[in-house]
Amino acid sequence: MIGHQPAIIQSILDFDYLAGREPSIIVLIATNRRAEKYFFGEKEMLIPCYPSIDQLPLADRKKVNWMLNLQSGRRAYETTGAFFAAFPKALGGHIFAENVPERQATDLIKRFGDKYFLIGPAGVGLLVPGSLKLGAIGGITPTQLAAAHAGTPGNIAIGSTSGGMTNELIHAVSEAGKRISFAACVGGDRFPVVSLTKLFTMAEEDKQTKTFVYFGELGGVDEYEIVELIKSKKFTKPLVAYIAGVIDEAFTDHVQFGHAKALVQTQNESARAKRDALRAVGVTAPETFPAFLKALKKLPAPPKKDPEMNSESLMHREKSLLSTRKINPDPSVSFTENILTALLGRKPKSRITTTFTGKVFSLLIDHGGHVSGAVNTMITARAGKDLVSSLAAGLLTIGPRFGGAVNAAAAAWLRAVEEGVPPREFVETETKAGRLVSGIGHKKYRGGLPDPRLRELRTFADQLKKHPHLDFAEGVEKVTTGKNGSLILNVDGAIAALLLDILAEAEGLKHKELVTLIESEFFNAFFVIPRTVGFIAHFLEQKQNDEGLFRLPDNLLFERED
Amino acid sequence: MPRQKITEYRAKKLLIGDGYKGIAVSSTTKGLPKSGRFVVKVDQGVKRRFKQGLVALDQKPGAIPKMLKGWQTRGFSQFLIEPYLVHKPSEERYLSLERVREGIRALFAGNGGIEIESHPKSIKKFVIKKPADVAVVAKQTKLPVPFLEHLIDVFDQNFFAFLEINPLVVRGNTVHLLDAAVMVDSAGAFFVRDGWSETDTASRVHHEAEERVQALAKTTPASLKLTVLNPNGSLFFLLSGGGGSIVIADQAALRGCGKEIGNYGEYSGGPTREETHLYAREVIQLLINSKAKKKTLIIAGGVANFTDVKATFAGIIDALREEAERLRKMKVKVFIRRGGPNEVEGLAEMKEFLKRAGLFGSVHGSEAVITAAVDDAIDYLKL
Repeated sequence: MIGHQPAIIQSILDFDYLAGREPSIIVLIATNRRAEKYFFGEKEMLIPCYPSIDQLPLADRKKVNWMLNLQSGRRAYETTGAFFAAFPKALGGHIFAENVPERQATDLIKRFGDKYFLIGPAGVGLLVPGSLKLGAIGGITPTQLAAAHAGTPGNIAIGSTSGGMTNELIHAVSEAGKRISFAACVGGDRFPVVSLTKLFTMAEEDKQTKTFVYFGELGGVDEYEIVELIKSKKFTKPLVAYIAGVIDEAFTDHVQFGHAKALVQTQNESARAKRDALRAVGVTAPETFPAFLKALKKLPAPPKKDPEMNSESLMHREKSLLSTRKINPDPSVSFTENILTALLGRKPKSRITTTFTGKVFSLLIDHGGHVSGAVNTMITARAGKDLVSSLAAGLLTIGPRFGGAVNAAAAAWLRAVEEGVPPREFVETETKAGRLVSGIGHKKYRGGLPDPRLRELRTFADQLKKHPHLDFAEGVEKVTTGKNGSLILNVDGAIAALLLDILAEAEGLKHKELVTLIESEFFNAFFVIPRTVGFIAHFLEQKQNDEGLFRLPDNLLFERED
Repeated sequence: MPRQKITEYRAKKLLIGDGYKGIAVSSTTKGLPKSGRFVVKVDQGVKRRFKQGLVALDQKPGAIPKMLKGWQTRGFSQFLIEPYLVHKPSEERYLSLERVREGIRALFAGNGGIEIESHPKSIKKFVIKKPADVAVVAKQTKLPVPFLEHLIDVFDQNFFAFLEINPLVVRGNTVHLLDAAVMVDSAGAFFVRDGWSETDTASRVHHEAEERVQALAKTTPASLKLTVLNPNGSLFFLLSGGGGSIVIADQAALRGCGKEIGNYGEYSGGPTREETHLYAREVIQLLINSKAKKKTLIIAGGVANFTDVKATFAGIIDALREEAERLRKMKVKVFIRRGGPNEVEGLAEMKEFLKRAGLFGSVHGSEAVITAAVDDAIDYLKL
């Protein structure tokens, strides 16, 4: 699915559901989001989104057979080319846009016309009842799909140049008690990729199809293709056709009607001429639309009974807050492992991950009462506030300069290692841009006075085969301490680096999955969780001491006189 | 709009380049040449221009203002003045290029000129599918290869759909384009750089309502189209869908009321309530201005795939409400047939409004034939 048109996408999922199939939409090439939420039946589902075709994961690529291109006429040509380059084995697709230039349309015909079933540009696509809805065809509400009997395969093929009339014919056939084998709208543009020849040949070859119902308009000479097919016995099934546009005869000049092609340029392009040519080869081509509808009533009856289609249940759905993560604590394993399972959405694969997490949690519970978060918790407690308020005051202090740099450091290490940037160049770039390097620098410790917590953490690196992120972080430290002794790798930076190395090696996470974790701020949780305990401890102590309201001593506040 | 004529001036600028000496004028006095011999023509995409007396050959500067004034009184406003090339009628050739499914179709005749249509058998036909095909055309037409290559390059780069040069005079390697007509593919406007733009389109004099709808259509991805046919007609159409709208108009023609149709147009592709309101307002004004005694408004279309009936009908009701009083006094009746998303709600609201406003003719949903509303309107007119 290229481009995003929610109503059409939802209608395709509703069609799949009502036909008793799995969702046919695999991915969206659209939006800046990771996924878009839709209903499948009464339940909700997420359809993954990617910004471009080349970013599709391999696993999804194998499932793709069809393209539905919902982009504008300005972009559809380019993305259609990109689709077939990426999916040479696809069956085809549909371009929804009007206003694809003629030059681009004829180029699409040249490149893809023979090999694929590419319907459009323009029109509403292809409908195979019970199997495939490729486009807006057949309607967008569940009621319309049910009324069209979109789940019942029948024996009448529908072809049309007009999107609206395709649906009108689906509706008329259905109302007459008949069912369709397939419906296709080639579109009202001058150069549709799927030609009428291709459509009629397909109907001839299709064993289910007994009869063809066709709607055409004035303009263009495509209907003569049908005449030729009938003359050469390449199309032998009964055909009922209506060619609209005798109205053009009422005016002195030829009128440009709604579709691009709907303009008579030469005499044989008139509705009357085309209708007469069809009649001459035995086609039932009534003069008026009501007479055409009457002819439909004589078409063969459907071979099958309609299956149950409960569209009512799809009518009043409300979008909810989607939550698919089930957290089932396992009392037989450690608290740390249960936490990790909840955070990762699955059990950790390796013991290293759990032990490392346990170590991080223990080390980070507290780092003394001097640090910003603890101070705020204590001051709030002494102002008489409750546990949750005081804890919140401390937690709200966590940010880029205090505790919240783990995630930012992880982002920096991951990107630099992926791109193979040397530490010196990395530091230069950050310095030139006037940015501080996350995970580097400490108020208290410095070169020669190392943070004792780091030594313990670094032992985990020895349990891994390789640790590129830690190596890189230490490389950065070498450069920065060369400039200023206090610019050491701090605990945030080290945790970020080691956690990346462990998740990559011991948990087998791919680069993309690590990016997803960083974008959801996963790494900061490793500071927030243990430090919550520390803040609570400081709160409890303050309450037990009950010193009363804190006021900053005069000598600690410097008031500047203007 | 799909294929559109551009002015001969712009066409030749693109084909010939800086060497083109033609002058485009819209005034009968300013910017006219001082000396030389000239061809003067109306440049508004008019067909059979020569036969209508809208081309004057071999004119001296002094004669030009009077010539232009005469054309102005006939309603024309854009003119082209070019140096006159003295040549023999036997030198005139005919060449046209048109984009077709397989490539570019070229038609050539050794005896060009205004009578080209009377000797169709002398026309040679080629389809250029690949660059190498140009040589074949050159050999059979004796047109210089570089000229043909340049022509096709300009044709492709500028998203031309049709090009006709008649006559064309070839002298050695120099080719003179005496008259040229070009239709561009308007969908190419976005991709063309430094070529033509919408201001270069040459078309018949537009009705103000058509111009307003065109301006509105440019601001939405939905499709909004309007053509005024008979300003004093008695059937006015608010139709939806490119195909359905023709079926409905056909029915009027088939029942002998073709001349009574005031306008053709269609809205589709999911316009918003506001867009539909503005579009409907134009049709309603046309209806109000018509001098016909009995007038009807037909709001009809097929069973829509995705255009929301409730939202678009709300927009139409907004427009009808503005003029309800005048419409009622004129005894205008409104006839409806429509289906699609939220059909039941949309039709119910429309029915209630029409009854209250005293404009009710009939209201049909997807259970009725697509032509039900226009049939009812014609029955009412014939009462």
